[in-house]
Amino acid sequence: MVHDPMMEMYLFETGQLVNKLEQLCIASESKQDISEEIDEIFRIMHTIKGNSMMMLLEDIGKVAHRIEDLFDHLKVVTLSEKHIEKVIDFNFDAIDFFKIELDKLENNLPADGSSDALVASIEVFLSELKGEAVVFEASEDQKYFISPSNTVVEDDEGEHFFACTLFFEKDAQMENVRAFTIVHNLKDIAEDVLFIPEDIVENEKTAETIQQDGFFIVAKSMNTASIVEEYFTDLPYIDHNDFRFLSEDEYNELKVDLTGKVEEEVVVEVVKEESTLVQKEDASAPRQSFISVDVNKVDKLMDLVGELVVAESMVINNQDLIGLQLSNFDKASRQLRLVINEMQDIVMSVRMVPLTMTFQKMSRIVRDMKKKVGKDVRLNLEGETTEVDKNVIEKIGDPLMHIIRNAMDHGIEDEKTRLSVGKDRVGQIELSARHVGGNVVIKVKDDGKGLDKARIFDKAFEKGLLTETMDAYTDQEIYGMIMNAGFSTKVEVSEFSGRGVGMDVVAKNIESLGGSILIESEPGKGTEISILIPLTLAIVDGMMMRVGESIFTLPIMSIKESFIADQHEIIKDPEGQEMIMVRGVCHPLIRLNQYYEIEGDADNSKGIFVMVEHDDEQVLLFADELVGEQQVVVKSLSKYIRRVNGVTGFALLGDGRISMILDPSGFMVM
Amino acid sequence: MKRVLIVDDAMFMRSTLKMMLRKKEYEVVGEAQNGIEAIEQYKKLKPDIVTMDIHMPEMGGIDALSEIIKLNPSVKVVMISAAGDQKHVLDAMQIGAKNFIVKPFTEDKVFQVFNKL
Repeated sequence: MVHDPMMEMYLFETGQLVNKLEQLCIASESKQDISEEIDEIFRIMHTIKGNSMMMLLEDIGKVAHRIEDLFDHLKVVTLSEKHIEKVIDFNFDAIDFFKIELDKLENNLPADGSSDALVASIEVFLSELKGEAVVFEASEDQKYFISPSNTVVEDDEGEHFFACTLFFEKDAQMENVRAFTIVHNLKDIAEDVLFIPEDIVENEKTAETIQQDGFFIVAKSMNTASIVEEYFTDLPYIDHNDFRFLSEDEYNELKVDLTGKVEEEVVVEVVKEESTLVQKEDASAPRQSFISVDVNKVDKLMDLVGELVVAESMVINNQDLIGLQLSNFDKASRQLRLVINEMQDIVMSVRMVPLTMTFQKMSRIVRDMKKKVGKDVRLNLEGETTEVDKNVIEKIGDPLMHIIRNAMDHGIEDEKTRLSVGKDRVGQIELSARHVGGNVVIKVKDDGKGLDKARIFDKAFEKGLLTETMDAYTDQEIYGMIMNAGFSTKVEVSEFSGRGVGMDVVAKNIESLGGSILIESEPGKGTEISILIPLTLAIVDGMMMRVGESIFTLPIMSIKESFIADQHEIIKDPEGQEMIMVRGVCHPLIRLNQYYEIEGDADNSKGIFVMVEHDDEQVLLFADELVGEQQVVVKSLSKYIRRVNGVTGFALLGDGRISMILDPSGFMVM
Repeated sequence: MKRVLIVDDAMFMRSTLKMMLRKKEYEVVGEAQNGIEAIEQYKKLKPDIVTMDIHMPEMGGIDALSEIIKLNPSVKVVMISAAGDQKHVLDAMQIGAKNFIVKPFTEDKVFQVFNKL
């Protein structure tokens, strides 16, 4: 974490700009045309340069500066296809450089990467480009007229003559422009301003001369001496000056000296010309209506709303109210519930972020890999605007990247093989996202060769992960094996994938989001990996069940049905596992009181059976009583608490009691 | 207290300037992210000083400067420019900006320039 607020702001904004930049580059690459993006890329580079220089991050600034130069030039030339590609490549190189450096800064490391190589290659390219086809706009040559002053010189008593040599500070920069500014402003109070060197506007080289020899001004003024003197004191960027008043004779002498060198009196006249920056912007362009908010604040707000939900039920379900006839109170509390529900939805939506950025990143990965693995692959994006919780966005990137890399490296065949089996030369990967109920499903589908079931089975068998014969397992179960650590059927290891790390990381990441992965594959046709992730992890619609004194909460989504059954309907298998036959299918039974070794009701014949489902598997849970439905805020398990099978977290109930939230998947492994 | 309007599309630049100006007798009364906003804000706030970035989306600093000068010919606008942006700075000076600051800048420089406005 970075604690310097300036650095934090810098990183935030630059990060956003770099992301935007990447989007622009990907967009322009896909249409092989950069003309529409030039202005925006130029501006972004300009801002990155400015911000970075401010933070004394010279290398980042330099790279941005060179690209800015390049794009400034692109505004006036038309590029060949080859050049466009090169320009975009430079941009991607720059983006990578920025990312690496920003990452270092984010981790409190110095941004010490050298930009020399990149800067040099951009410079070479730019000079190449300029040597080839430079078409300067006519308007670029600004005209500044030097003309005799038409001010009538009056020999008033109040007339003051003066001269001054200004010496600039060493790091003043653009001394000629500064000199021009000084002269320009001086003309508000003085007349007949002469200066040396006189070609400060046209000749940038005068900056060096001025830095070395100073900038000499001679003029006269009708204003009081103090005004004139005041003007020359404390001028910004001026190291020192030798301001002095002159007698009229001295002045005339100097003037002759100066005008002997310059043919006429030098007066800079402002020529009003169309600004070169004319933009055909729509005046009614949309105003930005977003604000950036610290994520911590949103998290806090989310937490508070959660607490509010709890507090609300504490009030409405208050023990003191039980049995009372309170029609007005009920009406009011219904209203309160409505408002709180809406508030909860809104706060939740604040945390929702579209997947666009994540998906764009994948385009980038495909683009980079395409060149390196030598396969032509098209990534089709669908549903990229699907919104998911911010936490999800943060954790989904890496898994997706692994899956896509795998698809490119192992899934899609090389060109020759593809053609020989009658497939299109270009491989296709589909990346899609959509909402399904309270979940989002992200799918990666390739049209490659599919998973090799036999090989996966052999490998798993070899490793002792599977012990039965192949027929004993479903396709799903076998494919699922690739999620195990160190599992790779690929013999050779490529730069991108194939080390057998990756898919287990994918599985872990997805699990930590409360999600699941489904792998489907058809030999020769391709593989489809679906990731199912709940939209939010913070609040759960729960069904509360009582077992003795304890209250358990089950996510309503996982409950299939609940029923009351006679004890004699319970059958036992030879190992003593209790089961109940429901519509012809036997379901294992778990008595929560026994499972967790807690005291249940003495007479449990009135208990209720709840069927929960996870991954097409069902289990019956036996509890003493269903208490009711309630939304609960999930408090995750602290590190110091031992993991308990089937418990994912805790919730604070309305009456202050603590309830354990159950995770059905925990009961499936038996 | 002099009232200042900061115009820059980079939030970082705006807050940097704001932090600096806050230390002396300047009050940042408004911020704008582009030329269009700058003109609107100028009309509304009538600040004493405007700091103006040159390259911005929607409408750049030079165009905004021209418009603001029309509203008040004696307005005090300080251009914030990047190194090497001679041409635009010169344009701005001729249109009527009072001075300019080159990024990266230090606090001292900002105050030097502001003091002389």
